[in-house]
Amino acid sequence: MPDFDSLFRKYQQRLLLYTLKFVESESDALDIVQNIFVAVWENGKYRQEEDLVQAYLFSAVKNSCLNYIKHQKVVRKFEHDVALEIKEMEALHYQSGEKSLIEKESLKQINDAIDSLPDIYREVIFLSRFDGLKNHEIAERLNIPVRTVETRIFRGLNALKEKMSQKSFVILLFMRDLSVNVNFK
Amino acid sequence: MEDKAYIEDLIARYLNGNCPPTEYQELKLWLEESAEHEKVFFSVKDIWDSSRTYHDKSEDQLTLFYKNQFEKAKKSKQLWIRYSTVAAAILAVGLLITTLLPYTKTANTGQELVFSVPLGSRSTATLADGTEVHLNSGSKLSYSSDFSSINRVVYLTGEAFFDVESDSEHPFIVKTADFNVKVTGTQFNVCTYTENNYSSTTLAEGKIELQIGGSNQNFEIKPGEKFELDRQTRKYILGSADIESEIAWKDGEFIFRNIPFPELVKKLERWYDVRLNYSDEGLQRFSYTGRFKNQETIWQVLDALKLTSPIDYQKTTFREFKLIYKPLK
Repeated sequence: MPDFDSLFRKYQQRLLLYTLKFVESESDALDIVQNIFVAVWENGKYRQEEDLVQAYLFSAVKNSCLNYIKHQKVVRKFEHDVALEIKEMEALHYQSGEKSLIEKESLKQINDAIDSLPDIYREVIFLSRFDGLKNHEIAERLNIPVRTVETRIFRGLNALKEKMSQKSFVILLFMRDLSVNVNFK
Repeated sequence: MEDKAYIEDLIARYLNGNCPPTEYQELKLWLEESAEHEKVFFSVKDIWDSSRTYHDKSEDQLTLFYKNQFEKAKKSKQLWIRYSTVAAAILAVGLLITTLLPYTKTANTGQELVFSVPLGSRSTATLADGTEVHLNSGSKLSYSSDFSSINRVVYLTGEAFFDVESDSEHPFIVKTADFNVKVTGTQFNVCTYTENNYSSTTLAEGKIELQIGGSNQNFEIKPGEKFELDRQTRKYILGSADIESEIAWKDGEFIFRNIPFPELVKKLERWYDVRLNYSDEGLQRFSYTGRFKNQETIWQVLDALKLTSPIDYQKTTFREFKLIYKPLK
Protein backbone atom coordinates (compact mmCIF):
# COMPACT_ATOMS: atom_id res chain seq x y z
CA MET A 1 0.00 0.00 0.00
CA PRO A 2 1.51 3.32 -1.04
CA ASP A 3 1.53 6.19 1.43
CA PHE A 4 -0.12 9.43 0.50
CA ASP A 5 3.04 11.49 0.01
CA SER A 6 4.73 9.07 -2.35
CA LEU A 7 1.49 8.70 -4.28
CA PHE A 8 1.31 12.46 -4.63
CA ARG A 9 4.93 12.67 -5.77
CA LYS A 10 4.45 9.87 -8.25
CA TYR A 11 1.23 11.00 -9.90
CA GLN A 12 0.95 14.76 -9.48
CA GLN A 13 3.00 15.61 -12.55
CA ARG A 14 1.39 13.00 -14.74
CA LEU A 15 -2.10 14.10 -13.80
CA LEU A 16 -1.09 17.69 -14.43
CA LEU A 17 0.29 16.85 -17.88
CA TYR A 18 -2.94 15.07 -18.64
CA THR A 19 -4.97 18.07 -17.49
CA LEU A 20 -2.88 20.41 -19.62
CA LYS A 21 -4.05 18.50 -22.69
CA PHE A 22 -7.42 20.18 -22.18
CA VAL A 23 -6.91 23.10 -19.87
CA GLU A 24 -4.88 26.04 -21.11
CA SER A 25 -4.62 27.94 -17.85
CA GLU A 26 -1.86 26.41 -15.74
CA SER A 27 -3.33 27.65 -12.47
CA ASP A 28 -6.69 26.07 -13.30
CA ALA A 29 -4.89 22.84 -14.16
CA LEU A 30 -2.99 22.87 -10.85
CA ASP A 31 -6.29 23.42 -9.00
CA ILE A 32 -7.95 20.52 -10.78
CA VAL A 33 -5.13 18.17 -9.76
CA GLN A 34 -5.09 19.48 -6.18
CA ASN A 35 -8.84 18.83 -5.91
CA ILE A 36 -8.40 15.25 -7.06
CA PHE A 37 -5.85 14.66 -4.31
CA VAL A 38 -8.13 16.33 -1.76
CA ALA A 39 -10.80 13.84 -2.79
CA VAL A 40 -8.58 10.75 -2.41
CA TRP A 41 -7.30 12.10 0.88
CA GLU A 42 -10.78 12.63 2.23
CA ASN A 43 -12.38 9.45 0.95
CA GLY A 44 -9.36 7.36 1.93
CA LYS A 45 -9.09 5.81 -1.56
CA TYR A 46 -5.32 6.29 -1.46
CA ARG A 47 -5.10 3.38 0.95
CA GLN A 48 -6.12 0.90 -1.74
CA GLU A 49 -3.85 -1.15 -3.97
CA GLU A 50 -1.82 1.09 -6.24
CA ASP A 51 -3.42 -0.22 -9.47
CA LEU A 52 -6.83 0.74 -8.18
CA VAL A 53 -5.62 4.12 -6.99
CA GLN A 54 -4.06 4.84 -10.38
CA ALA A 55 -7.25 3.90 -12.21
CA TYR A 56 -9.25 6.05 -9.83
CA LEU A 57 -6.92 9.05 -10.23
CA PHE A 58 -7.06 8.93 -14.01
CA SER A 59 -10.80 8.46 -14.20
CA ALA A 60 -11.17 11.41 -11.82
CA VAL A 61 -8.90 13.58 -13.94
CA LYS A 62 -10.80 12.65 -17.11
CA ASN A 63 -14.09 13.65 -15.53
CA SER A 64 -12.67 16.87 -14.17
CA CYS A 65 -11.31 17.88 -17.56
CA LEU A 66 -14.57 17.17 -19.33
CA ASN A 67 -16.49 19.14 -16.72
CA TYR A 68 -14.04 21.98 -17.07
CA ILE A 69 -14.59 22.13 -20.83
CA LYS A 70 -18.36 22.02 -20.39
CA HIS A 71 -18.11 24.82 -17.91
CA GLN A 72 -15.96 26.86 -20.29
CA LYS A 73 -18.57 26.38 -22.99
CA VAL A 74 -21.19 27.85 -20.69
CA VAL A 75 -18.93 30.75 -19.82
CA ARG A 76 -18.29 31.53 -23.48
CA LYS A 77 -21.89 30.84 -24.41
CA PHE A 78 -22.17 33.46 -27.10
CA GLU A 79 -18.96 32.74 -28.84
CA HIS A 80 -18.78 29.86 -31.20
CA ASP A 81 -15.48 28.45 -29.99
CA VAL A 82 -14.22 25.76 -32.36
CA ALA A 83 -11.00 25.15 -30.42
CA LEU A 84 -13.06 24.27 -27.36
CA GLU A 85 -15.30 21.98 -29.39
CA ILE A 86 -12.25 20.08 -30.64
CA LYS A 87 -11.07 19.73 -27.04
CA GLU A 88 -14.45 18.41 -26.05
CA MET A 89 -14.33 15.78 -28.79
CA GLU A 90 -10.93 14.77 -27.48
CA ALA A 91 -12.07 14.61 -23.86
CA LEU A 92 -15.00 12.39 -24.86
CA HIS A 93 -12.61 10.18 -26.82
CA TYR A 94 -10.70 9.44 -23.59
CA GLN A 95 -13.91 9.17 -21.62
CA SER A 96 -14.86 6.18 -23.75
CA GLY A 97 -12.03 4.10 -22.31
CA GLU A 98 -9.14 5.12 -24.56
CA LYS A 99 -5.95 5.61 -22.57
CA SER A 100 -3.47 8.42 -23.00
CA LEU A 101 0.23 7.59 -23.09
CA ILE A 102 0.53 9.73 -19.98
CA GLU A 103 -1.60 7.13 -18.24
CA LYS A 104 0.00 4.08 -19.83
CA GLU A 105 3.70 4.91 -19.83
CA SER A 106 6.09 6.59 -17.47
CA LEU A 107 7.33 10.01 -18.57
CA LYS A 108 10.84 8.61 -18.73
CA GLN A 109 9.86 6.02 -21.31
CA ILE A 110 8.45 8.76 -23.48
CA ASN A 111 11.65 10.81 -23.18
CA ASP A 112 13.74 7.75 -23.99
CA ALA A 113 11.70 7.18 -27.12
CA ILE A 114 12.40 10.76 -28.22
CA ASP A 115 16.11 10.13 -27.78
CA SER A 116 15.96 7.16 -30.11
CA LEU A 117 14.31 9.05 -32.99
CA PRO A 118 16.21 9.68 -36.24
CA ASP A 119 18.11 12.99 -36.12
CA ILE A 120 15.90 15.08 -38.41
CA TYR A 121 12.80 14.32 -36.33
CA ARG A 122 14.50 14.45 -32.95
CA GLU A 123 15.82 17.90 -33.74
CA VAL A 124 12.41 19.49 -34.38
CA ILE A 125 10.72 17.60 -31.54
CA PHE A 126 13.46 18.72 -29.21
CA LEU A 127 13.38 22.36 -30.29
CA SER A 128 9.61 22.52 -29.93
CA ARG A 129 9.14 20.46 -26.76
CA PHE A 130 12.28 21.19 -24.75
CA ASP A 131 13.02 24.69 -25.87
CA GLY A 132 9.45 25.78 -26.56
CA LEU A 133 10.09 27.17 -30.05
CA LYS A 134 7.17 27.67 -32.43
CA ASN A 135 7.30 26.21 -35.95
CA HIS A 136 8.35 29.46 -37.62
CA GLU A 137 11.13 29.96 -35.04
CA ILE A 138 12.43 26.48 -35.70
CA ALA A 139 12.33 27.20 -39.44
CA GLU A 140 14.45 30.29 -38.86
CA ARG A 141 16.94 28.50 -36.67
CA LEU A 142 17.42 25.58 -39.02
CA ASN A 143 17.09 27.71 -42.12
CA ILE A 144 14.40 25.56 -43.72
CA PRO A 145 10.83 26.39 -44.86
CA VAL A 146 8.03 26.37 -42.25
CA ARG A 147 6.21 23.73 -44.29
CA THR A 148 9.20 21.42 -43.88
CA VAL A 149 9.18 21.99 -40.11
CA GLU A 150 5.46 21.19 -39.99
CA THR A 151 5.94 18.00 -41.96
CA ARG A 152 8.84 16.90 -39.78
CA ILE A 153 6.91 17.63 -36.60
CA PHE A 154 3.99 15.52 -37.75
CA ARG A 155 6.16 12.67 -39.04
CA GLY A 156 8.36 12.81 -35.94
CA LEU A 157 5.33 12.50 -33.68
CA ASN A 158 4.04 9.68 -35.84
CA ALA A 159 7.37 7.86 -35.59
CA LEU A 160 7.25 8.29 -31.82
CA LYS A 161 3.75 6.87 -31.78
CA GLU A 162 5.02 3.81 -33.68
CA LYS A 163 7.87 3.38 -31.20
CA MET A 164 5.55 3.54 -28.23
CA SER A 165 3.08 1.06 -29.72
CA GLN A 166 5.88 -1.35 -30.68
CA LYS A 167 6.87 -1.47 -27.07
CA SER A 168 3.45 -2.41 -25.80
CA PHE A 169 3.28 -5.04 -28.52
CA VAL A 170 6.42 -6.69 -27.16
CA ILE A 171 4.91 -6.75 -23.71
CA LEU A 172 1.74 -8.34 -25.05
CA LEU A 173 3.73 -11.08 -26.81
CA PHE A 174 5.59 -11.71 -23.61
CA MET A 175 2.37 -12.09 -21.69
CA ARG A 176 1.04 -14.59 -24.22
CA ASP A 177 4.23 -16.64 -23.86
CA LEU A 178 3.67 -16.69 -20.16
CA SER A 179 0.16 -17.99 -20.47
CA VAL A 180 1.37 -20.65 -22.92
CA ASN A 181 3.83 -21.85 -20.33
CA VAL A 182 1.14 -22.04 -17.74
CA ASN A 183 -1.05 -24.09 -20.05
CA PHE A 184 1.65 -26.66 -20.57
CA LYS A 185 1.81 -27.35 -16.89
CA MET B 1 -8.26 19.56 -48.29
CA GLU B 2 -8.24 15.81 -48.65
CA ASP B 3 -4.56 15.94 -49.40
CA LYS B 4 -2.79 13.89 -46.73
CA ALA B 5 0.30 16.06 -46.58
CA TYR B 6 -1.89 19.12 -46.22
CA ILE B 7 -3.70 17.64 -43.22
CA GLU B 8 -0.42 16.58 -41.62
CA ASP B 9 0.90 20.12 -41.82
CA LEU B 10 -2.41 21.48 -40.57
CA ILE B 11 -2.14 19.26 -37.48
CA ALA B 12 1.44 20.39 -36.90
CA ARG B 13 0.26 24.01 -37.16
CA TYR B 14 -2.56 23.33 -34.72
CA LEU B 15 -0.09 21.88 -32.24
CA ASN B 16 2.79 24.28 -32.56
CA GLY B 17 2.10 27.13 -34.92
CA ASN B 18 -0.04 30.16 -35.24
CA CYS B 19 -3.19 28.53 -36.38
CA PRO B 20 -5.92 30.96 -37.54
CA PRO B 21 -9.58 30.27 -36.55
CA THR B 22 -10.48 29.26 -40.11
CA GLU B 23 -8.03 26.39 -39.83
CA TYR B 24 -9.58 25.21 -36.56
CA GLN B 25 -12.83 24.94 -38.45
CA GLU B 26 -11.12 23.03 -41.24
CA LEU B 27 -9.55 20.63 -38.77
CA LYS B 28 -12.86 20.08 -37.04
CA LEU B 29 -14.61 19.26 -40.30
CA TRP B 30 -11.90 16.79 -41.19
CA LEU B 31 -12.18 15.13 -37.76
CA GLU B 32 -15.93 14.74 -38.16
CA GLU B 33 -15.47 12.89 -41.43
CA SER B 34 -14.48 9.61 -39.78
CA ALA B 35 -13.48 7.86 -36.61
CA GLU B 36 -10.21 7.01 -38.32
CA HIS B 37 -9.39 10.72 -38.70
CA GLU B 38 -10.15 11.29 -35.03
CA LYS B 39 -7.85 8.48 -34.10
CA VAL B 40 -4.95 9.82 -36.16
CA PHE B 41 -5.29 13.28 -34.69
CA PHE B 42 -5.84 12.32 -31.06
CA SER B 43 -2.97 9.86 -30.99
CA VAL B 44 -0.55 12.35 -32.54
CA LYS B 45 -1.72 15.07 -30.19
CA ASP B 46 -1.32 12.63 -27.31
CA ILE B 47 2.33 12.07 -28.17
CA TRP B 48 2.74 15.82 -28.42
CA ASP B 49 1.14 16.40 -25.02
CA SER B 50 3.10 13.63 -23.31
CA SER B 51 6.45 14.88 -24.54
CA ARG B 52 5.99 18.39 -23.16
CA THR B 53 8.86 19.50 -20.95
CA TYR B 54 7.35 20.54 -17.72
CA HIS B 55 9.21 21.52 -14.62
CA ASP B 56 8.12 19.16 -11.85
CA LYS B 57 6.21 21.15 -9.25
CA SER B 58 5.01 18.19 -7.22
CA GLU B 59 7.01 19.10 -4.09
CA ASP B 60 5.63 22.65 -3.99
CA GLN B 61 2.18 21.31 -4.70
CA LEU B 62 2.40 18.77 -1.90
CA THR B 63 3.35 21.53 0.55
CA LEU B 64 0.41 23.55 -0.70
CA PHE B 65 -1.84 20.54 -0.28
CA TYR B 66 -0.94 20.13 3.39
CA LYS B 67 -1.17 23.83 3.98
CA ASN B 68 -4.71 23.92 2.59
CA GLN B 69 -5.66 20.85 4.58
CA PHE B 70 -4.27 22.44 7.70
CA GLU B 71 -6.22 25.66 7.13
CA LYS B 72 -9.35 23.61 6.62
CA ALA B 73 -8.74 21.63 9.79
CA LYS B 74 -8.16 24.83 11.74
CA LYS B 75 -11.44 26.24 10.50
CA SER B 76 -13.44 23.21 11.46
CA LYS B 77 -11.76 23.35 14.90
CA GLN B 78 -11.13 19.66 14.86
CA LEU B 79 -8.07 18.18 16.37
CA TRP B 80 -6.19 16.44 13.62
CA ILE B 81 -3.39 14.59 15.26
CA ARG B 82 -2.15 13.51 11.87
CA TYR B 83 -1.51 17.11 10.97
CA SER B 84 0.53 17.98 14.03
CA THR B 85 3.92 17.51 12.40
CA VAL B 86 2.65 19.17 9.26
CA ALA B 87 1.43 22.13 11.25
CA ALA B 88 4.78 22.58 12.92
CA ALA B 89 6.49 22.44 9.58
CA ILE B 90 4.19 24.98 8.02
CA LEU B 91 4.64 27.42 10.88
CA ALA B 92 8.34 27.08 10.42
CA VAL B 93 8.11 27.61 6.71
CA GLY B 94 5.99 30.74 6.97
CA LEU B 95 5.32 32.73 3.86
CA LEU B 96 7.41 31.49 1.00
CA ILE B 97 8.19 32.75 -2.43
CA THR B 98 8.37 29.21 -3.62
CA THR B 99 7.30 26.77 -0.98
CA LEU B 100 9.57 23.97 0.05
CA LEU B 101 8.47 20.66 1.32
CA PRO B 102 10.07 19.42 4.49
CA TYR B 103 9.80 15.72 4.94
CA THR B 104 10.42 14.05 8.24
CA LYS B 105 12.89 11.31 8.90
CA THR B 106 12.77 9.43 12.12
CA ALA B 107 16.11 8.44 13.50
CA ASN B 108 17.02 7.06 16.90
CA THR B 109 17.82 10.54 18.07
CA GLY B 110 14.48 12.06 17.20
CA GLN B 111 12.87 13.72 14.25
CA GLU B 112 14.64 15.60 11.55
CA LEU B 113 13.07 18.09 9.17
CA VAL B 114 14.56 18.27 5.71
CA PHE B 115 14.18 20.82 2.94
CA SER B 116 15.54 19.76 -0.37
CA VAL B 117 15.66 21.61 -3.66
CA PRO B 118 15.87 19.61 -6.90
CA LEU B 119 18.38 20.39 -9.63
CA GLY B 120 17.38 23.25 -11.87
CA SER B 121 15.46 25.20 -9.24
CA ARG B 122 16.00 27.43 -6.23
CA SER B 123 13.88 28.11 -3.16
CA THR B 124 13.53 30.21 -0.05
CA ALA B 125 12.47 29.23 3.45
CA THR B 126 11.95 31.17 6.67
CA LEU B 127 12.91 29.23 9.77
CA ALA B 128 11.12 29.37 13.12
CA ASP B 129 13.59 31.94 14.51
CA GLY B 130 12.97 34.33 11.60
CA THR B 131 16.15 33.43 9.72
CA GLU B 132 15.73 33.50 5.97
CA VAL B 133 17.46 30.82 3.91
CA HIS B 134 17.86 30.83 0.13
CA LEU B 135 18.68 27.35 -1.14
CA ASN B 136 20.42 26.87 -4.46
CA SER B 137 19.71 24.07 -6.89
CA GLY B 138 20.47 20.52 -5.69
CA SER B 139 20.84 21.53 -2.01
CA LYS B 140 19.53 20.12 1.22
CA LEU B 141 18.99 21.83 4.56
CA SER B 142 17.98 19.84 7.60
CA TYR B 143 17.44 20.49 11.28
CA SER B 144 16.11 18.67 14.27
CA SER B 145 12.43 19.03 15.17
CA ASP B 146 13.39 20.95 18.32
CA PHE B 147 14.94 23.78 16.29
CA SER B 148 13.78 27.03 17.90
CA SER B 149 14.86 30.59 18.57
CA ILE B 150 17.12 29.30 21.35
CA ASN B 151 18.39 26.16 19.63
CA ARG B 152 19.55 27.28 16.22
CA VAL B 153 21.50 24.49 14.52
CA VAL B 154 21.09 23.47 10.87
CA TYR B 155 22.89 21.03 8.56
CA LEU B 156 23.66 21.88 4.96
CA THR B 157 24.80 20.11 1.82
CA GLY B 158 24.95 22.16 -1.35
CA GLU B 159 24.70 25.93 -1.37
CA ALA B 160 22.68 28.37 0.73
CA PHE B 161 22.58 32.04 1.55
CA PHE B 162 21.57 32.80 5.13
CA ASP B 163 20.12 36.04 6.43
CA VAL B 164 20.27 35.27 10.15
CA GLU B 165 17.94 36.94 12.62
CA SER B 166 20.12 38.73 15.16
CA ASP B 167 20.36 37.23 18.66
CA SER B 168 23.73 37.56 20.39
CA GLU B 169 22.83 35.11 23.16
CA HIS B 170 21.84 32.22 20.96
CA PRO B 171 24.28 31.67 18.10
CA PHE B 172 23.08 30.27 14.81
CA ILE B 173 25.20 27.31 13.70
CA VAL B 174 25.50 25.86 10.20
CA LYS B 175 27.12 22.44 10.16
CA THR B 176 28.55 21.04 6.94
CA ALA B 177 30.67 18.01 6.08
CA ASP B 178 33.76 20.22 6.02
CA PHE B 179 33.31 22.96 8.58
CA ASN B 180 30.92 24.56 11.03
CA VAL B 181 29.96 28.22 10.91
CA LYS B 182 28.82 30.04 14.03
CA VAL B 183 27.13 33.43 13.81
CA THR B 184 24.91 35.71 15.81
CA GLY B 185 23.23 37.87 13.18
CA THR B 186 24.64 38.29 9.68
CA GLN B 187 24.29 37.58 5.99
CA PHE B 188 26.52 34.94 4.49
CA ASN B 189 26.78 32.31 1.79
CA VAL B 190 27.88 28.70 2.29
CA CYS B 191 28.77 26.45 -0.63
CA THR B 192 29.54 22.76 -0.02
CA TYR B 193 28.47 20.67 -3.00
CA THR B 194 29.93 17.23 -2.55
CA GLU B 195 31.02 17.05 -6.19
CA ASN B 196 33.08 20.26 -5.91
CA ASN B 197 36.76 20.26 -4.99
CA TYR B 198 36.33 23.26 -2.74
CA SER B 199 33.92 24.20 0.02
CA SER B 200 33.57 27.84 0.87
CA THR B 201 31.78 30.48 2.85
CA THR B 202 31.51 34.16 1.99
CA LEU B 203 30.45 36.88 4.37
CA ALA B 204 28.33 39.83 3.25
CA GLU B 205 27.59 41.46 6.58
CA GLY B 206 28.36 41.04 10.28
CA LYS B 207 30.83 38.54 11.65
CA ILE B 208 31.20 34.79 11.54
CA GLU B 209 33.33 32.21 13.30
CA LEU B 210 34.34 29.14 11.42
CA GLN B 211 35.71 25.86 12.67
CA ILE B 212 37.14 23.25 10.34
CA GLY B 213 35.56 19.87 11.01
CA GLY B 214 37.65 17.43 13.03
CA SER B 215 40.15 20.06 14.16
CA ASN B 216 40.48 22.91 16.59
CA GLN B 217 41.29 25.46 13.93
CA ASN B 218 39.09 28.50 14.36
CA PHE B 219 38.81 31.49 12.05
CA GLU B 220 37.11 34.79 12.30
CA ILE B 221 35.81 36.04 8.97
CA LYS B 222 35.13 39.68 8.22
CA PRO B 223 32.64 41.19 5.76
CA GLY B 224 33.80 40.91 2.16
CA GLU B 225 35.99 37.89 2.91
CA LYS B 226 35.77 34.40 1.56
CA PHE B 227 37.07 31.28 3.21
CA GLU B 228 37.83 28.44 0.83
CA LEU B 229 38.83 24.94 1.82
CA ASP B 230 40.36 22.36 -0.49
CA ARG B 231 38.37 19.26 0.38
CA GLN B 232 41.19 16.88 -0.34
CA THR B 233 44.34 18.53 0.93
CA ARG B 234 42.45 20.42 3.67
CA LYS B 235 44.41 23.53 2.71
CA TYR B 236 42.52 26.77 2.98
CA ILE B 237 42.60 30.33 1.69
CA LEU B 238 41.10 33.29 3.48
CA GLY B 239 40.95 36.32 1.22
CA SER B 240 38.81 39.07 -0.18
CA ALA B 241 35.76 37.98 -2.17
CA ASP B 242 33.62 39.21 -5.00
CA ILE B 243 30.43 39.34 -2.94
CA GLU B 244 28.17 40.34 -5.82
CA SER B 245 28.96 37.35 -7.98
CA GLU B 246 29.04 34.92 -5.04
CA ILE B 247 25.49 35.64 -3.97
CA ALA B 248 23.82 36.78 -7.21
CA TRP B 249 22.25 33.32 -7.57
CA LYS B 250 19.79 34.05 -4.78
CA ASP B 251 18.19 36.74 -6.94
CA GLY B 252 18.07 34.47 -9.99
CA GLU B 253 21.19 35.92 -11.58
CA PHE B 254 24.28 34.12 -12.66
CA ILE B 255 27.47 36.14 -12.44
CA PHE B 256 30.93 34.67 -12.83
CA ARG B 257 34.27 36.36 -13.00
CA ASN B 258 37.32 34.54 -14.16
CA ILE B 259 36.19 31.07 -13.22
CA PRO B 260 37.85 28.03 -14.78
CA PHE B 261 35.96 26.14 -17.48
CA PRO B 262 35.29 22.96 -15.42
CA GLU B 263 33.71 25.08 -12.69
CA LEU B 264 31.52 26.89 -15.20
CA VAL B 265 30.33 23.56 -16.57
CA LYS B 266 29.38 22.30 -13.10
CA LYS B 267 27.49 25.49 -12.35
CA LEU B 268 25.56 25.36 -15.63
CA GLU B 269 24.71 21.70 -15.11
CA ARG B 270 23.20 22.40 -11.72
CA TRP B 271 21.52 25.60 -12.80
CA TYR B 272 19.79 24.09 -15.83
CA ASP B 273 19.63 20.45 -14.77
CA VAL B 274 21.43 19.26 -17.88
CA ARG B 275 24.60 17.29 -18.50
CA LEU B 276 27.46 18.90 -20.38
CA ASN B 277 30.14 16.47 -21.48
CA TYR B 278 33.54 17.37 -22.80
CA SER B 279 36.68 15.35 -23.23
CA ASP B 280 39.15 17.79 -24.76
CA GLU B 281 41.90 18.86 -22.39
CA GLY B 282 42.26 22.11 -24.33
CA LEU B 283 39.03 23.36 -22.79
CA GLN B 284 40.38 23.11 -19.26
CA ARG B 285 42.67 26.09 -19.80
CA PHE B 286 39.92 28.63 -20.39
CA SER B 287 38.44 30.85 -17.80
CA TYR B 288 35.20 32.73 -18.10
CA THR B 289 33.64 35.97 -17.08
CA GLY B 290 29.99 36.68 -17.70
CA ARG B 291 26.61 37.59 -16.38
CA PHE B 292 23.12 36.48 -17.26
CA LYS B 293 19.69 36.15 -15.80
CA ASN B 294 17.84 32.96 -15.22
CA GLN B 295 15.49 33.72 -18.15
CA GLU B 296 18.08 32.72 -20.71
CA THR B 297 17.65 29.19 -21.99
CA ILE B 298 20.53 26.72 -22.01
CA TRP B 299 20.60 27.15 -25.81
CA GLN B 300 21.21 30.87 -25.52
CA VAL B 301 23.96 30.29 -23.00
CA LEU B 302 25.64 27.69 -25.19
CA ASP B 303 25.30 29.96 -28.21
CA ALA B 304 26.99 32.72 -26.23
CA LEU B 305 29.83 30.34 -25.35
CA LYS B 306 30.14 29.37 -28.98
CA LEU B 307 30.31 32.99 -30.12
CA THR B 308 32.85 34.11 -27.58
CA SER B 309 35.19 31.15 -27.33
CA PRO B 310 36.53 28.30 -29.46
CA ILE B 311 33.75 25.99 -28.36
CA ASP B 312 31.02 24.26 -30.30
CA TYR B 313 28.24 22.12 -28.94
CA GLN B 314 26.00 19.26 -29.98
CA LYS B 315 22.91 17.93 -28.37
CA THR B 316 23.39 14.26 -27.61
CA THR B 317 20.27 13.14 -25.76
CA PHE B 318 17.25 14.70 -24.15
CA ARG B 319 19.06 16.71 -21.48
CA GLU B 320 22.62 16.18 -22.52
CA PHE B 321 25.07 18.18 -24.60
CA LYS B 322 28.58 17.58 -25.82
CA LEU B 323 31.02 20.49 -25.81
CA ILE B 324 33.72 20.42 -28.42
CA TYR B 325 36.98 22.35 -28.50
CA LYS B 326 37.38 24.10 -31.83
CA PRO B 327 40.73 25.93 -31.95
CA LEU B 328 40.83 29.03 -34.13
CA LYS B 329 42.62 28.57 -37.38
